[in-house]
Amino acid sequence: MFNVIKTFLKEGIKTEDISSYNEDNIAIYKKLPKTLKGSLNIRHIDCGSCNACEYELTALSNIFYDIERFGIRFVASPKHADALTITGPITRNMYKPLLDAMKNVPNPKVIIAIGDCAMDGGIFKGAYGIVGGLKDINIEPYILIKGCPPTPKDIINGILKGFEG
Amino acid sequence: MKHYIESLLHSDDYQFLGLFVSDKTKEQGVFILRYLFYDIKNKKLNITEIDTRKEFPHIDIPALDWYEREIHDMFGLVPKGHPNLRPLMLFPENYPKDFHPLRKDANLNIEYRGYEEYRYENFEPEGSFKILVGPIHAGIIEPGHFRFTLNGEPILKLEIRHFYKHKGIEKLAEGKPVEFGLKLSERISGDHSLAHSLAFVKAVETIYGIDIPPKAVYVRAILLELERLTCNINDFAFIFQDVGYSFGAQKVFAIKEMLMRLNEALTGNRFNRGIIKVGGILKEIDLNIVKDGIKLLKKEYLKYKKLFLNSSTILERTDTTGKVSYETAKKYAALGYVAKASGLYFDTRKIMENKLYGPLIKEFSLKSGDVTARLKVRFNDIEESFDIIEEFISNIPEGNIYKNYEKKDGYSFGFEEGQRGNIIHMLEIENGLISRWKIRDPSFHNWPIIQEAVLGDIIADFPLINKSLNLSYSGNDL
Repeated sequence: MFNVIKTFLKEGIKTEDISSYNEDNIAIYKKLPKTLKGSLNIRHIDCGSCNACEYELTALSNIFYDIERFGIRFVASPKHADALTITGPITRNMYKPLLDAMKNVPNPKVIIAIGDCAMDGGIFKGAYGIVGGLKDINIEPYILIKGCPPTPKDIINGILKGFEG
Repeated sequence: MKHYIESLLHSDDYQFLGLFVSDKTKEQGVFILRYLFYDIKNKKLNITEIDTRKEFPHIDIPALDWYEREIHDMFGLVPKGHPNLRPLMLFPENYPKDFHPLRKDANLNIEYRGYEEYRYENFEPEGSFKILVGPIHAGIIEPGHFRFTLNGEPILKLEIRHFYKHKGIEKLAEGKPVEFGLKLSERISGDHSLAHSLAFVKAVETIYGIDIPPKAVYVRAILLELERLTCNINDFAFIFQDVGYSFGAQKVFAIKEMLMRLNEALTGNRFNRGIIKVGGILKEIDLNIVKDGIKLLKKEYLKYKKLFLNSSTILERTDTTGKVSYETAKKYAALGYVAKASGLYFDTRKIMENKLYGPLIKEFSLKSGDVTARLKVRFNDIEESFDIIEEFISNIPEGNIYKNYEKKDGYSFGFEEGQRGNIIHMLEIENGLISRWKIRDPSFHNWPIIQEAVLGDIIADFPLINKSLNLSYSGNDL
């Protein structure tokens, strides 16, 4: 154990600068409320993604990106959350659970769409099992982060950009 | 015929790989059911076909339960005598009863409204209570519903309900070109982007009759091992996290991130998407980047493996937890590490492609079937992957990276060993377009096993057991 910690100290903490990202992948529709800056609690809802987006969302908590340093946290219940992140096309079977979760988020219900599928169904457009993307169920997200899947840097920057201006 | 299939299912010499159905009512007036087995002794596939118009025999073995319910949903065919024919993928709340999408004459325009209620199993012994979890879970994971019946702390029964993510991928691909299928195949289960796309192109290449150049074979194998490595390391980190050992978890997550960056440096995509094409690979890649990087990561990984195996407090949690016996694994036709940890060995690379891998893959299996055993199988897989990558990079043949081909019609299977186990794609091509595509992710075999693995354990161990199985929801739900 001593040796392991020694290496840890020797190597240093690897949290990175995230300032390089692709601006084209970020679309801001509405500004995030300034009151949430520095303490944004997110509940993630997978509505039918291929799980690549989830893979990248879990990566946000690793020591390279460490999203908590920006005051952004993933919480366990929609009742604790300020914002919902939504991935994937919305399947018929997940439509009702999504609405139930949204009902439980306190106002203003901030919606953040992640990945190409979330807005219009992406590659799954036209499949019988999906009701479509957020566009088709008349939910306007605050932020859309494009990519299949979007990179962790794009996701963090997308959320932070929502507070700017 | 029923008795013959039954005997194969119970035989130790045959591995059940799946049940594949095609609608041939237009051409032959029947639906064709193909039971796929692998004959381990004689090293060949065994495909048993049954033609039917409406009914087919029900076989009383857990491995076929989901298949039969799936076929009932998708084609409206009836497994005669099935005692529990509830809808599986098409939730009765959201889909009408007479909707069978994979029939060629199906009308896909269905109204979205409530139809009927789903019937859960009736199990309420005296003094028991229920804990309902999901479909939306507390972590960043995919949706699925778990119903626990408990009496005090131990779990008496677990009933799972999946397919919340059912999108209808198989139907979506019908009538579309192979190129679209390839793109879609990378999005069946994101963490297995490459394994699924390889299974798909292998099916296409068998139909077209292409022998891909040896260099492409090697590059594909190296990329596949990188993906396996990433997934196994990711699982290892999550097991660290679920036993409450954040230090180990974060350090191993860092290895995973470095592997993803290695992928990006190689192919330009963190999931290696878009590199595979029919006939070979899309572009030359510089494998020297891998060579040095992989050695450092191996050293780093070995540190944390030692840390894990030397910690009695961790092993206290993982030993004897989530036991899957050999009999259970066999009757569910388990695949991948779940099977290997319970003494049932099937590895597509070892059994079907021994010419390529040879002694690089050992027939490693354990008997205890608990969380520790599944992790030890992963350790073995990780070390094998490191060896394969090193060996293949130093022996890579020169030559072309793809081969030109002529398009043909036909039907074939494509096999690949993903990290979770054997992946199969059955593909039929008609007039140059996909006419039927059946995807079988190993999760479809392994998910029901979780219902037996948790019995007798306490509910606090469920996340750990779930992570040790780490199955794909997306690949299962399709």
